[in-house]
Amino acid sequence: MANLQVEICGVKFKNPVIAASGTFGFGREFNLLYDISVLGGISTKGMTLEPRQGNPVPRIAEGSSVILNAVGLQNPGVEHFIKEDLPFLRKKGVVIIANVAGKTLEDYGQICARLDGLVDMVELNISCPNVRAGGMALGIRPENINEVTKLSKANLSKTPLIVKLSPNVESIATNAKAAEDGGADCISLINTLTGMVIDIERRKPIIANNTGGVSGAGIKPIAVRMVYEASHAVKIPVIGMGGITSGEDAIEFMMAGARAVQVGTANFSDGNAMPKIIAGMNKWLDRHGINDINEIVNTLTLN
Amino acid sequence: MKDLLATVKSNKKIAENIYMITLTLPDEVGAIHGGQFVNLSTGNGANLLRRPLGVCMVDGDDISVCYQVKGKGTQYLTTVEAGRKLQVLLPLGNWFDLDDYKNIVVIGGGVGVFPLIATIREHCNKKNFYSYIGFRNIDAVCHYNELNKSKKLTIVTDDGSFGDKGNAVSAYLADAANVQADVIISCGPPIMLKILKQKLAEAGIKTPCFVSLEERMGCGMGACLVCVCKTAEGENVRVCRDGPVFDINEVQL
Repeated sequence: MANLQVEICGVKFKNPVIAASGTFGFGREFNLLYDISVLGGISTKGMTLEPRQGNPVPRIAEGSSVILNAVGLQNPGVEHFIKEDLPFLRKKGVVIIANVAGKTLEDYGQICARLDGLVDMVELNISCPNVRAGGMALGIRPENINEVTKLSKANLSKTPLIVKLSPNVESIATNAKAAEDGGADCISLINTLTGMVIDIERRKPIIANNTGGVSGAGIKPIAVRMVYEASHAVKIPVIGMGGITSGEDAIEFMMAGARAVQVGTANFSDGNAMPKIIAGMNKWLDRHGINDINEIVNTLTLN
Repeated sequence: MKDLLATVKSNKKIAENIYMITLTLPDEVGAIHGGQFVNLSTGNGANLLRRPLGVCMVDGDDISVCYQVKGKGTQYLTTVEAGRKLQVLLPLGNWFDLDDYKNIVVIGGGVGVFPLIATIREHCNKKNFYSYIGFRNIDAVCHYNELNKSKKLTIVTDDGSFGDKGNAVSAYLADAANVQADVIISCGPPIMLKILKQKLAEAGIKTPCFVSLEERMGCGMGACLVCVCKTAEGENVRVCRDGPVFDINEVQL
């Protein structure tokens, strides 16, 4: 058994496997399947200051080795989270990452101020492709990323800030740098790629929102490339995600430069995906005689 | 609720475009009630989403679900042979809770009959079922013997090729005066459930009515908030976890 513990921005994770925002709720449902305290961390469902109803249905569709979703940030609001879900997650002893979103810059500042000191990390969702106001608009241009990061950071004195980057951009390296320059303590990527699936009998998109965020195994090579580019553009730690379904996939992201990984869509194909990924990482490390996961981070040699 | 690798025992066509797949579960999952569903892998790794399918039969360690071939995923599922293993999450959702009822009217349409069959099988020794079932045509009719565990069974088809020509809702309404129902349970296409709600209101039938809804799903267990429907008050509820069975008056159809 290798050491799987990692430390990011002073926060200790028992292993580098984190539930990705939006696929795992606040952990209660998956906790009925297995004890979620085995996970390194949980990035919560994206939260806003006020409760949101999200988009009309259908909110999901499928492509080959990918899925598309457009839930549209349905969530019970940050106060509900603090009262109802935070105590439950605290008892579980996992790193709690509050994923937050807003309509305006001010929203980001307010929600960060509300969560400062209450959670282990805050993850800024500036790249949700499924909400019209804010979200993606803030996450595309480097100057906007810089601005929202600065404002959020100014409202967080105790809790480290992760900025989650959109892949639907011109240069992921430039945007990673913009987050770092704005004061981000960490970046995570990639959020979903914007896509569309059409029902050709109805000549209409399957998803009510028309477009949705593409995720799952099929996007992994894009994600690995972007994690590599981003982690070489900044000095702050990087959390990688995009199509991870096995321990080997997680190792691949860490070799590309990620210090931890998030797992989303794989939870839909197998409810026990994350415990299996943790076991798979351990096996791979044992097989290669490596006794500390941190030794593989950023060990990629280019051809 | 468990996520298991189940072994396919059989997978056969039972009606036009409809298949029944029987899975042997490797582990105890507790009681499975009529109305509950499973989230089943198609067996094709390129289909990351599992298919939510209402349980049709439970026999010891074996469960059977039926599916309509609609797209590439269900098309692939038809090719899965006995002996293969499929990842399945079960049992999911709530069920038709009939504890307080003795005489039950069943209104089913098309692929909506399968969770109703599970319900009839679960309770037919102790309760009376009066079933009104609509199929498209004679080729779509399936599980007649199971449906016939009802005290009274009326099958209608859209084209009159089996039973009378008509739909399940009309068939019930035409007979409603002759049946003292304690409760109505229903599952079928959205338009059928919508008409049922309208017609019950129009006819002034106050009998409690529970419907099972369908929606495209992600996780199947209530975490991802993909499969919501609206309550009468306009709030979101999760079809997979708060349902799939709802009081017909408490959801927007």
